[in-house]
Order: sequence, then structure tokens, then C-alpha cells
Amino acid sequence: MNLILQNIGRRFGSKWIVRHLDLEVGEGECLALLGPSGCGKSTTLRLIAGLDQPNEGSITIAGEDVTTVSPVDRRIGMVFQSYALFPHLTVFANLALGLQVRGIAASDRKRRVASVLALMQLEDLAERHPAELSGGQRQRVALARALLRDPLVYLLDEPMSNLDAQLREDLRPQLRHLILKGSQPVVYVTHDQHEAMAMAHRIAVMRDGKIEQIGTPQELYHNPSSLFVASFIGRPQINLLPAESGIIKAIRPEHLQLSSEGIPCRLVYKEWLGTSQLLILESNRGPLRMLCASEISIPETIKINWPPEKEHQFDASSGERY
Amino acid sequence: MIQLLLIPAALLIALVFGLPLVRYSWLSFHADSVLTGLVAIPNHGANWLRLLHDQRFWQDTYQTARFATVSVSLELLLAIAIALLLDQRWRGRGVVRAISLLPWALPTTVMALGWRWIFNTPYGPIEQFAELIGLQPLNILSNPNITWLATVVGDVWKTTPFAALILLAGLQTIPNDLYEAFYLEGGHPRAALFQITLPLLQPYLLLSLLFRLAQAFGIFDLIQVMTGGGPAGSTESLALYAYLNAMRFLDFGYSATVMISGFLLLVLACLLVWLIFQQASHWREAIK
Repeated sequence: MNLILQNIGRRFGSKWIVRHLDLEVGEGECLALLGPSGCGKSTTLRLIAGLDQPNEGSITIAGEDVTTVSPVDRRIGMVFQSYALFPHLTVFANLALGLQVRGIAASDRKRRVASVLALMQLEDLAERHPAELSGGQRQRVALARALLRDPLVYLLDEPMSNLDAQLREDLRPQLRHLILKGSQPVVYVTHDQHEAMAMAHRIAVMRDGKIEQIGTPQELYHNPSSLFVASFIGRPQINLLPAESGIIKAIRPEHLQLSSEGIPCRLVYKEWLGTSQLLILESNRGPLRMLCASEISIPETIKINWPPEKEHQFDASSGERY
Repeated sequence: MIQLLLIPAALLIALVFGLPLVRYSWLSFHADSVLTGLVAIPNHGANWLRLLHDQRFWQDTYQTARFATVSVSLELLLAIAIALLLDQRWRGRGVVRAISLLPWALPTTVMALGWRWIFNTPYGPIEQFAELIGLQPLNILSNPNITWLATVVGDVWKTTPFAALILLAGLQTIPNDLYEAFYLEGGHPRAALFQITLPLLQPYLLLSLLFRLAQAFGIFDLIQVMTGGGPAGSTESLALYAYLNAMRFLDFGYSATVMISGFLLLVLACLLVWLIFQQASHWREAIK
């Protein structure tokens, strides 16, 4: 089972929202679409689901071209950002409705819903309505519904963005376990890079309707192919130092180190983070962010340097890796 | 504290609805007509006893209920269809939305006169058309068996936009991703009407039903202008009968009795509708 997008394009009027998009998600692989809002990641997801039709290109799911197949027949398990639970139905009826419209017998329906309720620890909530559930519970019901669909592909549209930070962290391993148990490809849309790194095998960073770079979290972090990816991935944000002949040097805050030789800096501000501390420095080449061990005491004026192999170089005008 | 802010509104309602209700209830237990020199004299329920044996009152009750049931049912069915249509995206929708409200914006008297002419024998377009295809004159406004249907047509034409507007507002509260989720579940777009749209529209259906029922039950102007209650009293409504008692027979005591009984019947009808909806759905309680 896999998912292939070939040369996908979608435009509204004359404006291309997504263009020349190629993507392959393998069996049991979780791919995150990551990017700022308006980059086309949600549009891409809707195209895969069949909720929107591409103007160009083709979509193949499990070896079958589904480009023109209606969403009704596409076998997609989708978790919406809003969860899209049916407010007039109980949790049980929410889960059973899909089975019912797909013509599954009542007794079988009951058995299947019961087993997924047990799996998701929702048995006690079966007779509640969505309005009576917490955000986390609603998310579990939405996920249960996607599981019951017996899909060929899982699509998750910002499934965590309506939850508080603590719950998000708690739910990540559970979500990962549940959706990656099967062999289906998973496409996970998010604007949160932490979530993308935690959930996905590979991340596609999107910008202006195109994939800027695609790779494992490690590849993106250590080997960003453009200035955009370098700045988008990694917090605190990477340092950008304009250098001679139209080159921008980029160094991660944790790779800066104190030294006797180097750029003279003045300490502006210090943030203690527990295991480390974040230093905001001012130099004649602009502001710098530096991460260092929390126990070191930092004087007012310092000199900093970095190992040359940790430095990335980008073309200032094109943003591409030099 | 916030309840204090309700006082002006409560006062207004008490003055406009409460006071007349109390006054008319009181009056319904008094004789107050030309025979008493227009002075209210207690008559110990004689008005109510008379009402019980008043054939005309019972006939008007039946006619009012028939008019309200048939016209409100037709209106709601049409309004659902129109609201669904106006909720879709298509070119020129904005213009059609505006135009579809016109009948409702027109004064009832004006449009009732219009309908009277449309149904006129022999000059109205309907009779002209009947003649053209070789039918006998229909005499729509002078046949006691069918005239009430003409008043239903007038009422449906006039008030369907109102119900459609409420339902359209209701449709727009249903998030689109519910439909998308339903399709992805394998649900057919046609099935979505019964599985998603109508259940979620239910509060708005109830609202427009109650609004329309109340208006149709108290129908006066349309009937007065179109038929004057005729022919042979076959379109007379309770409100019209109360009006005639007061203004033509100058019997204010009995007019108040008819009015109050009409009011009680309406409350009963609304209660019934409300109960039916309560039984049919419990999810709105869940939201509270």
C-alpha cells in the first residue's frame, strides 16, 4: 500500500495554490506536510482525500489511479482539525454511521464499534454527545472513526492543534502507535515543527505551493537545502550571518561556542531553559542566538566561534544551498 | 444584576401583550355591548357558555386550524427546498436571494388585493386561462369548497420567504466539514440531507414552525381583503370572527371571549409542536 502524487497542480482562478507537486508515501510510512499557513499543505491533503479536484496531475492510492474517484469511494481515514463529529449523534452513533451507510449489518456494526471503543478507551462515553466531551476525548472519537473506515490512507489535518500543550505531548505516542500499527501510508499536516519531528518518518517542508525539501527530520535539521528550511526547522531559530560575495552563513544556536578568538559580542539577554540557557547576543554582524550549558556563567562581553563543519552556506538572493 | 437590563423589554411586553390579555380575559366574563350601553356588566360565564354552543365559532375554529395546518406545512416544505437551493453556490444567487424576499416585504393588503384580482371571475388571468383551454368558469372566490385554497395560495406566496430565510440562516450554521466527513465515511451526498442536514436544521425548523403557526392562527388581513370571510363564511377565521363581533355587532364581551379562546388554542397548538420536537430529538439538551 502506498500513495503517489504526480505533478499535482491546483489553482483558484489564475493563482496556483499547489503546483508541480510530486510525493510518494510508502507502506506504513508517516509523512508530515509542514509549512506556514497558506503554503498549500491543507489543499494537498484535500486533494488526496478527493474533497477537491486537481487541475493537473494524478493521485494513485494502493496502485490504483483515484484522481477522478469521488471521496465517497476513496477509502480515506481522515481526522479533521475540528474533528467534524456529528453533533446530533452519540459517540456510538457517530462511529456506527459510516458502517451503516456502507451497508454493514447491524450486529456486525455493533461488534466493530464496540471493539474500537474498547481500543480507544471510550466505552464509558459511548452514549454521550460530542458537546459533552473534552477536546482530547473528541480527538479520540475522530481517530476511532478513521480507524473504523478501514482506510487505504490516513490523512490527519492538524489533529492536535485544538489541544493544550500537555495533552498534545501525552497523545503523540498513542496516536503514533495507533496509526502506524497498520500498513497504510499516513499524511500528517501540521504547522508545528516539533509535532512533525515527533510524528513523522519524513517531513516535506512546503512553501508557496511547492515542496521546498523532503527528508527525515535529521536530514532537514543537519542538511537544510535552503535558507527557508534552515530557518523554519529548529528552535531557537538558526543564526544568519551575511558574509561577503552574496553568501549567507547559517549556524545553529547550539553550535556557537565561547572562544578566545572570534566575533566579539555583548550579552543582551539570558533565558534559562533548565538543561541549557539561551543567550541573546549583539555583535557587529547582527544579533545572535546561542545555546550553552546552563551552569556556565557568562560575562558581559564574550567572543564566539563555531566549528567550520557546522556552518551552512546559502546564496543570499536565491536562498539555495551554496 | 444583568436581569435588571431586561426590565425595559419585559415592561414593553407586559404593556403590549400582558395588559390586553388580562383586559380581554376580564372582559370575556362580562356583557359589554350596545344592549348594555357599552358598559361592562358581569355575566358569570354566559359568554363562554354561548361560545360552547356557537356553531359559527366551531366552524371558524375548524377553518382556522385547516388554513394554518395546510399553509404552514406547504410553506415549510417549500422553504426547505428554497433554502437548500439558495445555500448552494451558483451564479446569480445573490440576486435571487434578494428577489425571493420580495413577497414577504410587500404589505399584505397590497398583495392580497393582487391575489383577489388574479383569482377574479371572469377577468383574472386564471379564469382567462381556463377559458382559453375550454374549461367552464372556475369561480374560485365564490365556491365555498375551494375558496379557502385560494387564501392558502396567497399565504404561502407571502410567507414562504420568511421561513426560507430562517432555514437558510440555519443551514449556514452547519459546518461544511461535517458533510466532508460524511462523504469520506462513504455516505452519498443525497443521504446527507437526511443524516446531516435535516437533523441539524431541526431547531430552525421548530422556530419557523412556531413563528408561522402563530401568524397563521391569527390570520386576519389576508382573509379580510381577499374574501372578507366568504363565500358563506367558508374562509372566516377566528380573528375575523372576533373582529366582526366587536366592530359590526358591537358585542365587545363576546368578541373578547372569541379572542381569548383563539389565543388558548394557539398556545395549545404550539405546545403540541414543541413537545413533538422534544420527543424527536434530545441532542439540543445535550449541548446545554
